[in-house]
Amino acid sequence: MRRLSLGTRLALLFAACTAAVSLGAGLLFNRASEQHFVELDQQLLESRLSLFRSQLAGLQGPGELQGRLPALRNELSHQADLALRIAGRDGATWFASRDSLPGTPPTPGLTTLHADGIDYRSLSVPPDAQTPAQLTLFLDITHHQHFLQSMQRLIWLTVGLSALATALLGAWAARSGLRPLRQMGRVAASVSARSLTTRLPVAQMPEELAELATTVNAMLQRLDDAFQRLSAFSADIAHELRTPLSNLLTHTQVTLTRPRSLEEYREALHGNLEELQWMAQMINDMLFLAKADHGLLVPGQTALALHDDVDALLEYYAPLAEDNEVQLLREGEAIVQGDRPMLRRALSNLLDNALRFTPKGGQVRVTLGPGLRICVANTGVAIEAAALPRLFDRFYRVDPARREGSSEHAGLGLAITRSIVQAHGGSISVQSREGWTRFVIELPETR
Amino acid sequence: MKLLIVEDQARTGQYLSQGLSEAGFATELATDGETGQYLALTGDHDLLILDVMLPGRDGWQILHAVRSAGLDTPVLFLTARDAVEDRVHGLELGADDYLVKPFAFSELLARVRSLLRRGASPSQDTTLSLADLRLDLIRRRAERAGTRIDLTAKEFALLELLLRRQGEVLPKSLIASQVWDMNFDSDTNVIEVAVRRLRLKIDDPHPNKLIHTVRGMGYVLEERHD
Repeated sequence: MRRLSLGTRLALLFAACTAAVSLGAGLLFNRASEQHFVELDQQLLESRLSLFRSQLAGLQGPGELQGRLPALRNELSHQADLALRIAGRDGATWFASRDSLPGTPPTPGLTTLHADGIDYRSLSVPPDAQTPAQLTLFLDITHHQHFLQSMQRLIWLTVGLSALATALLGAWAARSGLRPLRQMGRVAASVSARSLTTRLPVAQMPEELAELATTVNAMLQRLDDAFQRLSAFSADIAHELRTPLSNLLTHTQVTLTRPRSLEEYREALHGNLEELQWMAQMINDMLFLAKADHGLLVPGQTALALHDDVDALLEYYAPLAEDNEVQLLREGEAIVQGDRPMLRRALSNLLDNALRFTPKGGQVRVTLGPGLRICVANTGVAIEAAALPRLFDRFYRVDPARREGSSEHAGLGLAITRSIVQAHGGSISVQSREGWTRFVIELPETR
Repeated sequence: MKLLIVEDQARTGQYLSQGLSEAGFATELATDGETGQYLALTGDHDLLILDVMLPGRDGWQILHAVRSAGLDTPVLFLTARDAVEDRVHGLELGADDYLVKPFAFSELLARVRSLLRRGASPSQDTTLSLADLRLDLIRRRAERAGTRIDLTAKEFALLELLLRRQGEVLPKSLIASQVWDMNFDSDTNVIEVAVRRLRLKIDDPHPNKLIHTVRGMGYVLEERHD
């Protein structure tokens, strides 16, 4: 079955509601007027009946009736729709003011009867001590019934027309009410890799949709950011590989343009080797990151006394630190669940980074704990706040001028550290203030 | 020492074969799985170097066949894929080592030598020496030309490694792994600094330099007369 549009649904819903309400109101009115007619009839019949009873007071049998008939007829002639029947205790009719009246109702009181296509309301009183005959008064209520029937027709007409009207109005209202949604649809349709910058106008949205629009805008923003990063990453890969490749091409071609000494050839090959090694290292790092991106980095889960690993790393970095006249320190202890080679690599990158930015006479301090917190802090010039969140981006270097030279770092170390921490279910952040730059790793309690 | 290389990439196989021959090994090269397995089962090799992805039979199948035949020849795997499962699978089947492409030839050579040495009984030497450099392993003392040299524990370990494998080019990654137990890729220049500091103590006071840098490959301890 084809799904109904939101506008059609709302229109049908409005129509159904109006139809139900107007039908309910109509039925109620119909019933109320019917009730009203019954009450009117009853009043009329009762007053007339008591009149007739007083006129027939003391009547003993049908023989005595003849003398009182003229007065009765006179009284009846005032109201054409009224008819009277007088019957004895045995049910035999003594007098009937009209032919073809319905039979006497079996019970006394108000009853509705039908005879010869005419509706009557009748009221009868049984014989009693004062009047030994049974009096039954009939009121022709055909015109009442006609009124009620036309009233019912009117009700149905009202129901139909109002349902139709509200369906049309509802469709129009829904259409204009849903305009912001269609606008959202148009914006969504216009979004592509090229135009992720389109945003929904939240200020013009109705309150109910503003939140959705804000959410959609936030999603677009995240997509845009991720896409920008990805594009930048691809462009960076191309750029990072292009530089050493063009060096290799140029160097090799220049070397081959004329005969050279053995020493020159050897030198050329060594130069090429350095470029190639740099490229190999970068490709391995990028493969590692790609694996992490695809969730293929599955760290082992061994209980590690992290302080021992940190000490081993500090010993490893000791020559470099001594050369730079930087003090290496470790404080605290921590037992964590994790993958030793990966965590060592993550911490190694942080230490390498810290040592690179610590001035002579400075300090690099690794603080373990409290809990599963690892902090690698170094003294040095504060990093600009704007650059901090980007430190973990691939190929990001605080100082873009530092990228030349093949021995320079590719700028993937901190990205690798973050991937490893995230693969362990942890998080990493960086702050830089009061002369200290701190990288803080928080590992989760248990996984 | 006879090595079998099973590698379907013609150039790679050729370069490996040439490099290993020039390093003093007798090499045999197979370029598909079927031939590789036949040679591995019939030839008398000291080491197998197997590519994982091969036409015919892959490296794992060859390894399985070799181990099923009761041969415990050391096996070094080469692969372009670096999935943990691959590594685990290979090691479960009885591979002895594992190198992921792209790798440096110096790294491969160092690993090959390590694997070949594994079978041999460890040397019982209490002193190691080259030219006028002597290392007393029991008293943990180093001296050159009769003069005692003070070394830190790690410097001693580094010098011991260089002396034990004198004449071999040792890549930085191997040094980091053997001396500091750091088994991961790293672009840090720690090893350069450590070697420079060791050189300062061992070589600088003497005209006859023993520690040499092989650019782009690593370090070698040897006497050079030029």
